[in-house]
Amino acid sequence: MSAEHHSVVLDPRIAPPFPAAALPILRNSQLRKNVAHATDVIQAKRARLVAEKTDWQELRSAAAAIKNETLAHLDHYLAEFEANCTAAGGHVHWAADAAEARQIILQILRAENATEVIKIKTMTSAEIELNPALEAAGIHAVETDLAELILQLGDDQPSHIVAPALHVNRSQVREIFARRMGRTDLSDDPEALTAAARSYLRKKFLSVDAAISGANFLVAETGAVTIVESEGNGRMCLTLPRTLIALAGIEKVIPRFRDLEVFLQVLARSATGERMNPYSSLWTGVTPGDGPQNFHVVLLDNGRSPILARPVERQTLRCIRCAACQNTCPVYRQTGGHAYGSVYGGPIGAILTPQLMRMEHAQSLPYASSLCAACYEVCPVKINIPEVLIDLRAQVIDQERSKTDRAFDLMYVAMRVANGIFASAARFRLAQRLGRIALWPFTRKDGWIHALPSLGARWTMTRDLRGIPRESFRAWWAARPKVESRSGEKS
Amino acid sequence: MTPAASSRDIILGRIRNAAAADSAPAPDHSAAYIRRGQLHRPACLDLMIERLREYNADVVECGPAEIVSSIEEVLRLSGRHTIVAPPGLPGAWRVPGFTWRIDDSLTYSDIETSDAVVTASFAGVADSGTIVLHHSSAEGRRVLTLLPDWHLCILRASQVVETLPEYFDRCLQPPALATYISGPSATADIEMTRIKGVHGPRFLHVLLVHDEDSSQPQDYRKGDHP
Amino acid sequence: MRASLFITCYNDTLFPETGRAVVRLLERLGVTLDFHPQQTCCGQMHANTGFRAEAFSQAKRFVRLYRDTETVVIPSTSCVAMIRDQYPGLFEELGNEESRKDLLALLPRVLELSEFLIDKLGMDDVGAYFPHRVTYHASCHGLRGLHVGDRPFRLLSKVRGLELVALDNLDRCCGFGGTFSIKNAEVSSAMLSAKLRDMLSTGAEFCTALDNSCLMHLGGALHRQFAAMRTVHMAEILACTESAELPA
Repeated sequence: MSAEHHSVVLDPRIAPPFPAAALPILRNSQLRKNVAHATDVIQAKRARLVAEKTDWQELRSAAAAIKNETLAHLDHYLAEFEANCTAAGGHVHWAADAAEARQIILQILRAENATEVIKIKTMTSAEIELNPALEAAGIHAVETDLAELILQLGDDQPSHIVAPALHVNRSQVREIFARRMGRTDLSDDPEALTAAARSYLRKKFLSVDAAISGANFLVAETGAVTIVESEGNGRMCLTLPRTLIALAGIEKVIPRFRDLEVFLQVLARSATGERMNPYSSLWTGVTPGDGPQNFHVVLLDNGRSPILARPVERQTLRCIRCAACQNTCPVYRQTGGHAYGSVYGGPIGAILTPQLMRMEHAQSLPYASSLCAACYEVCPVKINIPEVLIDLRAQVIDQERSKTDRAFDLMYVAMRVANGIFASAARFRLAQRLGRIALWPFTRKDGWIHALPSLGARWTMTRDLRGIPRESFRAWWAARPKVESRSGEKS
Repeated sequence: MTPAASSRDIILGRIRNAAAADSAPAPDHSAAYIRRGQLHRPACLDLMIERLREYNADVVECGPAEIVSSIEEVLRLSGRHTIVAPPGLPGAWRVPGFTWRIDDSLTYSDIETSDAVVTASFAGVADSGTIVLHHSSAEGRRVLTLLPDWHLCILRASQVVETLPEYFDRCLQPPALATYISGPSATADIEMTRIKGVHGPRFLHVLLVHDEDSSQPQDYRKGDHP
Repeated sequence: MRASLFITCYNDTLFPETGRAVVRLLERLGVTLDFHPQQTCCGQMHANTGFRAEAFSQAKRFVRLYRDTETVVIPSTSCVAMIRDQYPGLFEELGNEESRKDLLALLPRVLELSEFLIDKLGMDDVGAYFPHRVTYHASCHGLRGLHVGDRPFRLLSKVRGLELVALDNLDRCCGFGGTFSIKNAEVSSAMLSAKLRDMLSTGAEFCTALDNSCLMHLGGALHRQFAAMRTVHMAEILACTESAELPA
């Protein structure tokens, strides 16, 4: 990201809270323009295709239902997948956490004496911080997805689930390719840049003998794995090397092959605004003479299974990583993904990341939302993200309740006081009077407040505030000439 | 070092404990999404062709008696000479005048240095313009349709369905391998500018064979006869 | 026709003129209104910030207060959305059998103002006169929570003299979001500035909505910028007639 490149931290354990992380990004008008443009393009394409699909709402219901069924019997379907994949010649591993997943993958690669590995874009591998571990072990990971390649060469981090480099513009790409590929001959024309990436990667595809992928769907009934993509780098990685490792969150499993008829209709429409991705690939274990003969699946938990235990949060695991929520979110539109301090940003990131962190980190993320529900409206598996956000906020406050220093948290104290006030009309009326008196020094002649101290300053930094009128509505009502109501109730 | 077996137990144990707390009602599968198409056959085929052309696949139509001559013409017009053929491709389709490399453990280099590949297919889905390969011997192993820059795919009208669920109806059993092609390889990763042909064949040609007798009801369950 | 007005805590305190307009409007339409003086807050602010127990205590109070009321009218889409969408979950988690029954019996009787006018009174022409250019802002709670749909448009289209101009990006959030406007003031302001651009480009003199919470945020920025546009709750437009204009 050239001169403006700031070190982006996508580790929820150390990332700054969302409001602080968002601030420098809000000052980056180029990034905001890129994000708005990218999300507008995908949203428009998605809207056109959804309007054309007359059974869109039924497909959403079916997709949600299939995922619910899967989650209700996740142990059964995972075991079924393992049995069928193994019977077809694959090896299935179980990783309880990120460290174990890295360990398993390293072991497999070391057994092959791999010094290089080609990778298909997988957010899951970024979640477990795989690449640094590979590098440390002397294994060079080559990202083959164009966006991931740009990020890798640019020492950058993804800012969107489906279009990870949408915050990077063409001249930035040209500069990165010149610096890291030695291609100083390139213009900033996207065609030329893409052609440069194509020839750079072709050599890798034909020579590197090990690949790492994610998985969009794991089919329990047959042990098959499905990956959808646009560029063809996926097919290269899935077909050419001898060794293939597919890393998949445990929530990626679906019960039957037939279930794909629903998911393959909703995924691409939601993710990229296409009826289907250009390439979707399905393979089962090992097929002699066709594709990798040494195939491994690493099933990753890393904080997912505890999410099943909470009735409201469980729907988080229905996610099929389409990023439609990111594309529609008005908050994400202003900040892009980096502000969320996690590889998962936007609405899904706001609910998934804190939960994967077992609510020990990223507590600001559930508040990074105005609860507008645009995400819920577009989610192909009907995750009620606002409902989950509110429940996570409740979990954060419950943590707060037991903290000894909560008396110093101004917002916490204010909310507790407000609750006491709302408990009685008399107290409420008193609070209205006291509030008016307290704000009187800040209230100008025109009845408006221009500047407030403390928390109030967060409002008045960009907005005026109406001063409290002398007469509240209830005072006006009480002073009205009355007509005694028929029931005898005092009006 | 944690043995993988105990992680399996840990994970499955957590899942079982969590599911025990699940009091949600059983999911409803009766959602009435569209399964059968509404289009008559000619309109369905027209839609397939329209979708293919939308993503710049070249479509030529012919009758069953003209398959060989059509293949010859398309190949001749392409200017391509060295052509990869799956082992099960009908011999007659390997038209004279070209250098055919029949796949019997061809190396990547053999395939990479070829100009083109000709294959059969399993199905077409008109709604999304998708060509489905199940990689039978007439369709070839997956690398054959991946490395060459130019792919001619023979698609019979009787293999074309309108909706994706109808394709699944046709799978008497789930395929072990499948590739679904619904567009040219493309990226929009640089400023959302769509660039075609990143990896995978940049040129897709489809020969649509009108093998259906329009006066007879069709039995579409023809398996993978090319 | 009788109805009980739940004014909402913030309207009562900051926008009493909206309440007065609701009274003028509904009484003009023949509604006998009453007002429970014990009312305070619906609990939305606490629920949305994560203070569930506190929100529940306020919710319980609301249900108790209106248990025997025929119809409750509320000039706030966000408060009605709170009651309709979140009260059931709160009562499920924290309430008992009896309180849940009371809630379920009450829910159909709680109506947002435009719902009351169109669905209960069966009218979209309320006899209003407002000779100004107006644009309508769709608050998210009304749009996606209550699905008010075309009700506000139907009401505005019958106001004599009113020129309605469509707002671009109507379905995009203005950035208020309750405490979000404080906790994430910068992002809230970024969303606000995008919304202001759309509003100002309509050339309208007024921006109206069914919820003063959004309008407090939008109106506060318009005032700060000395913009030639004001915000006004739809009740105040509907309350205006030839002989009763909007107060300055």
